[in-house]
Amino acid sequence: MPPAWDVEGPVQAEVFVVWLNDDVLELTGPDGPVPWMLELGATEHPVEVVDRIVRDVVGDPLLVHSTSWRRERDAVILSFVVVIDEGLVADMDSRPVARTDLARSEATVAPRDIATDQVVEHALRHLAWLAEDDPVVREELSPAWHAALATYVPEPFRNLG
Amino acid sequence: MSEQRLRSSCACGWEVTGTADEVVAATIEHGGKVHNMEATRDQVLARAEVVDDGSSQAGSAA
Repeated sequence: MPPAWDVEGPVQAEVFVVWLNDDVLELTGPDGPVPWMLELGATEHPVEVVDRIVRDVVGDPLLVHSTSWRRERDAVILSFVVVIDEGLVADMDSRPVARTDLARSEATVAPRDIATDQVVEHALRHLAWLAEDDPVVREELSPAWHAALATYVPEPFRNLG
Repeated sequence: MSEQRLRSSCACGWEVTGTADEVVAATIEHGGKVHNMEATRDQVLARAEVVDDGSSQAGSAA
């Protein structure tokens, strides 16, 4: 069987679409609650690509923010958290975000194995950091979002591997 | 004699089955719209598989 199409290239974006279902943070996306991979061209701005594709496929996001990077799939992977209103979830599959420990680097070596849940955990910790530090993010998120993020230890943008 | 049917699939789970023209068009549209990928007709056809069941219809899952 021929290989399936897959995102390739030296720089790729991994998008995590999150929304607030009552007081529960959930992960969704056009492919379901999994990383949504995008190819990034050499001359393209990563944030602009993610914002444009999300608008085209899902709808207007509330927030688009890069949260970490790591090496994987023979590429540099830029992780993005995208916050959407519940009205955009429609029939996309969704699941509650699982809590987990972060993948921690050793003193001079990146973490060897990084699970999706760990990337999402860090993405939401970074969003919690932005909710305190960035006035735009603080303003855009509802009180319910701030309450949901209060359980996350704020983290800066990080290299995860 | 009916036209050969092909299937093209994406790592995200999306797939399409149809004639060569249908598969090429749908795959290029999916790659561009959902993954910001560019592909040529030849690239799509090189990764497509021949389907011996002619009952499937062209379509998309994402």
